[in-house]
Amino acid sequence: MVQALSEGHRSVALRYRVLLSAVAAVPLALVVGCAGSGNPGSPNSAALSPGPGGGIPPAPASAPETLTETGSTLLFPLMGAWASAYHRQYPNVSITTAGTGSGKGISDASAGTVSIGASDAYLSSGDLVKNPTLVNIPLAISAQQVNYNLPGLPPRVHLRLDGSVLARMYEGTIRAWNDPAIAALNPGVALPGTRVVPVHRSDSSGDTFLFTSYLSTHYPAWNSAIGYGTTVAWPDASGSRAAQGNTGMVHGCQAAPGCVAYIGISYLSAALAAGLGEAQLANTLGQYVLPTPATISAAVASFVSSTPTSETISMVDGPASGGYPIVNYEYAIVSVKQRSATRGRDIKVFLHWAITTGNSAQYLDGVRFQPLPGPVVSLCDAQIAKIS
Amino acid sequence: MALQSPAPASPAASRPPGYVPAAPRRRTPGRLSAAATPTRLRILMIILLLASLAWGAVGAWTVIQHASAAQDVVSTSEPLSLSAQQMYRSLSDADVTATTAFLTGPSESLPARQRYAADIAQAASDLTSLSDAATTASGQQLRSSLAAVSTGLPVYTGYVAQAKAWYSLGYLLTGGSLMQVGTEVMHLTLLPAARTIYAQENAGLVTASARATGLPWIVVALVLAAGIAVVLFRAQRWLWRHTHRRVNYGLVAASVVLAAGVLWLIVAFVVARADLPPAETLAQAAIDIQQIRGDQIINLISRSGDKTFVQDFHSVRSQLGPGPGTMLTDAAATSPSGGGTQWASAAAHDVQTWYGVNDQVYRLDSTAQYAAETQLVIGTGANSSAAGFDRVETDLSRAIAADQVIFHASATAGDNAFTGLEAGIIVAAVLMALGCAWGLSVRLAEYR
Repeated sequence: MVQALSEGHRSVALRYRVLLSAVAAVPLALVVGCAGSGNPGSPNSAALSPGPGGGIPPAPASAPETLTETGSTLLFPLMGAWASAYHRQYPNVSITTAGTGSGKGISDASAGTVSIGASDAYLSSGDLVKNPTLVNIPLAISAQQVNYNLPGLPPRVHLRLDGSVLARMYEGTIRAWNDPAIAALNPGVALPGTRVVPVHRSDSSGDTFLFTSYLSTHYPAWNSAIGYGTTVAWPDASGSRAAQGNTGMVHGCQAAPGCVAYIGISYLSAALAAGLGEAQLANTLGQYVLPTPATISAAVASFVSSTPTSETISMVDGPASGGYPIVNYEYAIVSVKQRSATRGRDIKVFLHWAITTGNSAQYLDGVRFQPLPGPVVSLCDAQIAKIS
Repeated sequence: MALQSPAPASPAASRPPGYVPAAPRRRTPGRLSAAATPTRLRILMIILLLASLAWGAVGAWTVIQHASAAQDVVSTSEPLSLSAQQMYRSLSDADVTATTAFLTGPSESLPARQRYAADIAQAASDLTSLSDAATTASGQQLRSSLAAVSTGLPVYTGYVAQAKAWYSLGYLLTGGSLMQVGTEVMHLTLLPAARTIYAQENAGLVTASARATGLPWIVVALVLAAGIAVVLFRAQRWLWRHTHRRVNYGLVAASVVLAAGVLWLIVAFVVARADLPPAETLAQAAIDIQQIRGDQIINLISRSGDKTFVQDFHSVRSQLGPGPGTMLTDAAATSPSGGGTQWASAAAHDVQTWYGVNDQVYRLDSTAQYAAETQLVIGTGANSSAAGFDRVETDLSRAIAADQVIFHASATAGDNAFTGLEAGIIVAAVLMALGCAWGLSVRLAEYR
């Protein structure tokens, strides 16, 4: 269900293997009761940071604690880095992480089997009706790029694409890369006549939700015929392919010359390494932009003042000049009613740490995420403070 | 009967000529002495006077209890229960209207905007009357639910306004997500609170209605009246036998007045008793179909592939019916004749067609055919979900209105039936006491 991303929807056995490897990958600190470990004297920027952290304790409880996290594969590498660094700062707190897909993260958090679920998409109404104690707290800003496999293009060329052209590529009415519609967007670029191979996700995915949202706003016929969702009824474009997860998208696109694919930004490096091109996408002002720190931050900035207290907001196709069109928050899904006061306290302190200390370049740059704007951090803190 | 003849010995001017006292001053062994008769008459008089006063007090108290409860039903509980029911439906309709308009397109139609505004205004007005009526004596649950609606309503309208603003500027997705946030406030906070408020107000109405027609005091009053009737009867029989079959008009008058009072009380009570329990099942059914409709739309907006709403639909559907033990079937069976029966049956019929449309909607949703699903949910054709919902909603509204007319009429009749009865009972009691006093003092005078 839900805006699940990716690999979580494979077989249970595979999911279990992923979980095991994830658990193994994270240094499991079994350091129990180290004298003085409760409050290490190291500088604690989270605790020191002034501002609206009211109701959030400055440090975790001194008792040994293991927090568990499952969910988004996009967030998984960042979660791992955060877990290690946090454990270095607070040796009594260990965090196990697992990239299971957003849907599993949400359902685990809802069932209370994990402390934190990670999701690329905000909670659906159905999730909230099922469990009204859940909240979604942004942890960082992500984006989605469009990649293509056209080996003949000169290096450093980023084709310009817009929602209308992409929609027609996915519906099968633009069949070749030298189609006049694509050529019109890319004057001066010698386009090959390669057949277009649209690749989409086979699993229920937050990425599909974001991408089809973008197509819907730019191409009314797509909106009325297909629409947007975590899964959609893909048109039967000849040669189209389906792939599982972002890794599957990268590999699928690499194997199919002429492919066009939508991929989460934390896989951009992998896509570039695989020899794929990265498109400049049209925003609502008709500007063509690549997903860079500046364009992503600009896009998000235009939504800050409209962000509701629940922080549920779609930021696809915003009004910002120079803003990249497909951006989103990566969310932590947490129940505000935790089983024990200690667990609640430890989750609060960790989440606050993640959106402050954890939002620094040293953690985010590796996955190309952007830090949360200050006012959004305040909204996050207000939500974190509700955990009890 | 062991009583000795109380026949008077003294000549009485009032007596007709030729009157011969029976068995004058003759002592009969084993019988009570004739000299004790005046004492017995005095004791009887005291008993009857006290009984008359007791009847007056208990009868009046009974009437006051029932009348105030009946008044409560008509003037307080019934309007509050209606307000609560109306508030729920206004809130739900506001959300359905706003979300439907949203799904229809960026330019909201004037009728849709007016309907939304009217719904919000109606809900706010009902909220005010409900809050005004709530006192510190009202339950904590009722007060916290009222507070939840008071604080949540402006939050809801704020999000809806924000969603419309983004949407009208062309930012469909941001508008959609804010609409989702607003509708979540509605579904997670406002509607559950409104449902609790209705349940509480309806419970208040049921209590008041039960108090208006409840048994304890009327039984006490009638038992007392029966006891007094027995005493009066035996006193008269005793006098009759021992005064040469002369009627004691004072006691006869007292008996007649007692009978009249009892009769009046019984008639008033029977009329009030015709009060029917309010149309609760129908109101619950109306709330349930609103929920099905709202869920269908919120599911379409969130497009998450989530199964929560289709599951909820099936569980609500199984409670609604029709079928044995379900709400719609029960409502059709229990509505008063001439009331909502016909419309409840119509709802039970029409709802099945609408269920079919719902099944189709969720089938399209499960295969991600959003365009067709949207068309079915918000389209205006005869086979659309909106049309099916409107039919069932209209049936239920008519059924509720028809039952309401009957309930209101009988509650008002019950209230009116007690009018003047309190004074009537007191006057009757005084007349009874006078009748007894007069009837017995005439006999006592014969001993002087």
